[in-house]
Amino acid sequence: MPAIRRGSPPPFIPDDETPLEKLTRHWMNERHAPDILPAQEDLLGTLLDHLRRQSEVVQLLRGDPSTSEEEHIRIVLVQTEIERVKFIVRSYVRTRLFKIEKYARFITTNAEIQTRLTAAERDHASRHAKITDRHFHFSVLQSLPETQSHLDDTAIFMPPMITEPDNSIPVFVHALQNCPKITLPDGTSLEMEKGHISLTSYNVVQHLVARGEVELV
Amino acid sequence: MTDARQYGELATQLILEARRSTQTDTLLKYNDGLVRSLIREQRDLERAAESLMTENTAPPPALLIIQTAINRNKRCLLAYHSHRVDRLRDMYWAVGGALPHILTNQDIRSKLSPHEVDYLRSYNSSVMEFRAEFSHELDITAGITHPPKDLHVMVRVVRDCGVIQTELGSIDFKKGQRFMVRRADIEHLIVQGYLEEV
Repeated sequence: MPAIRRGSPPPFIPDDETPLEKLTRHWMNERHAPDILPAQEDLLGTLLDHLRRQSEVVQLLRGDPSTSEEEHIRIVLVQTEIERVKFIVRSYVRTRLFKIEKYARFITTNAEIQTRLTAAERDHASRHAKITDRHFHFSVLQSLPETQSHLDDTAIFMPPMITEPDNSIPVFVHALQNCPKITLPDGTSLEMEKGHISLTSYNVVQHLVARGEVELV
Repeated sequence: MTDARQYGELATQLILEARRSTQTDTLLKYNDGLVRSLIREQRDLERAAESLMTENTAPPPALLIIQTAINRNKRCLLAYHSHRVDRLRDMYWAVGGALPHILTNQDIRSKLSPHEVDYLRSYNSSVMEFRAEFSHELDITAGITHPPKDLHVMVRVVRDCGVIQTELGSIDFKKGQRFMVRRADIEHLIVQGYLEEV
């Protein structure tokens, strides 16, 4: 039986994982998780710097008359790769933006989730909550009688007015290495070995995703 | 209006409209008339509720019905508007954040309420502010539906779009011409329907 590693998280992710592979993993996780995952500001910064340097080199080489035919082909490959990396960065940023807008009101009232956002994302969330509230106010609420013109109803038998991430939705997890035992909602436990793929609810594996022991697929 | 109408019937119509819009994936015209009648109903209900609230006696059961109707109507009204702004945001991203492109389109414009136009404007400035956080290398409003396969693309000009800066220098796109250009330079023009991929 594989040893279960507990306590301080050992380096589960191999060190030779490139920044792009890291981002791809975070991008996939972000797309499949119902909640907003911690922002990867440093990683994103590294990649964007790298992209900028590459683009500069490409510009320089393209302008250089001594660049050979074969090198031009390589330049095209590099440029294509740059576009592809940008696509992933863009999709990653937009996925987060979509969730931020969806949960904007929740974010403004919850300090814990704010720690997972970048400053720019936090600003966007509060701006978004504000313009949405304003739209509701001008379109509907201001015309209603005074007693009805508030947005924060807590009527019984009605779903709450503020959308929160639903962490009970099912996700596919792929174990990146042998994982400690987890307890499923029905009380049974599951021990995933490396490479194991399982369908389970997000809150069961949430901590494994955070530690990078599993990825969402 | 007939007397036989039940509480909440108008609200149901509004929700049905939102659902139809989702199912057919089209933006329907803002139903100002229905929204107004609902707001009138809310005022009538409020008055009815007030008349039932008396100082000394326990509230009559009818009050509960009226309060439920008020809550439901209000929720439906908000759901309708929320559905619409969701659609508007989808539309906004589908054209790569080109707001003038939406607002100058008479067909779309006629379906929006004035408040929705305001909403789109403030949403646009919020997104622009967020976009400014990234270097000019990366335009986060560009498409995210298809990963790029080729660097260059052959396009046909469908509508004149004036002089555009590309990596080959500036090109004056005139209707009917064809160009081989870098995708990243002109992708927004494809999205907005000025150019067509060949």
